Amino acid sequence: MAALRSTTSALLGAAAARPSLRIANAVPAAFRGMAQLADGAEKVTTSSGENANLKTFQIYRWNPDKPTEKPRMQAYTLDLNKTGPMVLDALIRIKNEIDPTLTFRRSCREGICGSCAMNINGTNTLACLCRIPAEDKAELKVYPLPHTYVVKDLVPDLTQFYKQYKSIKPYLQRDTPAPDGKEYRQSKADRKKLDGLYECILCACCSTSCPSYWWNSEEYLGPAILLQSYRWLADSRDEKKLQRQDALNNSMSLYRCHTILNCTRTCPKGLNPGLAIQSIKKEMAF
Amino acid sequence: MASIARSSLLRQVASAPKVAVATKPASQNSIIANAARASAFHTTARRDLLPPLPQKVVGTVNDAAPVPTPSPSHGSYHWTFDRLVAASLIPITVVPFAAGSVHPVLDATLCATILIHSHTGFQNIIVDYVPTYRTPRARKAFIWGLNAATAVVGLALYQYETNDVGLTETIKRIWKA
Repeated sequence: MAALRSTTSALLGAAAARPSLRIANAVPAAFRGMAQLADGAEKVTTSSGENANLKTFQIYRWNPDKPTEKPRMQAYTLDLNKTGPMVLDALIRIKNEIDPTLTFRRSCREGICGSCAMNINGTNTLACLCRIPAEDKAELKVYPLPHTYVVKDLVPDLTQFYKQYKSIKPYLQRDTPAPDGKEYRQSKADRKKLDGLYECILCACCSTSCPSYWWNSEEYLGPAILLQSYRWLADSRDEKKLQRQDALNNSMSLYRCHTILNCTRTCPKGLNPGLAIQSIKKEMAF
Repeated sequence: MASIARSSLLRQVASAPKVAVATKPASQNSIIANAARASAFHTTARRDLLPPLPQKVVGTVNDAAPVPTPSPSHGSYHWTFDRLVAASLIPITVVPFAAGSVHPVLDATLCATILIHSHTGFQNIIVDYVPTYRTPRARKAFIWGLNAATAVVGLALYQYETNDVGLTETIKRIWKA
């Protein structure tokens, strides 16, 4: 590690004096578009030995401290022989050894916290559950979750997502006490209805992959929140089913789902939000 | 509206050399400066119609998103009606051609169902792409435009059914022509 650190600091010293960045930022602010691969392209490479298995990561960079600067893609090249198998391992290694300014969320590194949700090679997924395609020599592109307000680099702003989650009252609502005064019991069959619903970790991969949510995130709840909504609608212990259904019974909250099924396709936990939404619709139909 | 304010012409003016801008009146200058500053925050393509606005959090970040008042006629009834109409179109479309019968009542039912189906379909498109919170007046205009178009088409179909040969017979004749 000590040897790696010294090379890193040497690289960082070189990065500070790099003139290419300044040229890339000279583009007039009024002509900003999507971040392109060519924009501000710069390569940072770790030291590599004889049998290096190099892979380049193109990572979306945007710094809120410099709001007039265009978001750009930055390339980092790592030796996969010295990196863990997952994309998150690569990101952590880039942050530790190449560029400490790279910003992303991560916590559990095992797909249970939902922090590291990002768009990797065009698919929303958890970086910790996404393998680096080792045979594929192509560059790996990492963007923040699409159609979100970006806080910095790969960190999206999920304020609206959490506000909407709060609006569906995601907790057991019940007035009658338990018959034995101890706990609310449930049959095995009723418990089985919650399988495939309770596992959702609210990583927002599905919601941010939904075109309907892209257009109408102010009013449409999106697949993740509707899956959670169904988790409480399907719960045999909950007694506010009608009120929960009433809250969804308008043109925007639920019925902007057009069964595009991007949500089911992208879910890193293998859940099926599309089916849950259809179940809500069917239950409310007659 | 925002897309008009950020037209490509305005962008070109905004990005033009300072000398050219200086000849413009002061009020126009501030508009251009504002547009340039606002456009600097956008990252999507320039041809977009309703570009995303700067983030606005309603209430505090800990408040729940507002829950709309229940309205089944725009929600569950609307959805169920949509599905029933769509499902009923299948037999109504197949029967005249399969049976070879062109009974005027069946023909009229087919016309009415297609009309309702396309009306609710277009309604869904308008609700999707002309949001009330963003473009309330355009939404109203689009909805009434759709109502007018449906009424005109309904009247035309009625005329066609009563004074002419009808829909199925027309398709039959075109098919054989």
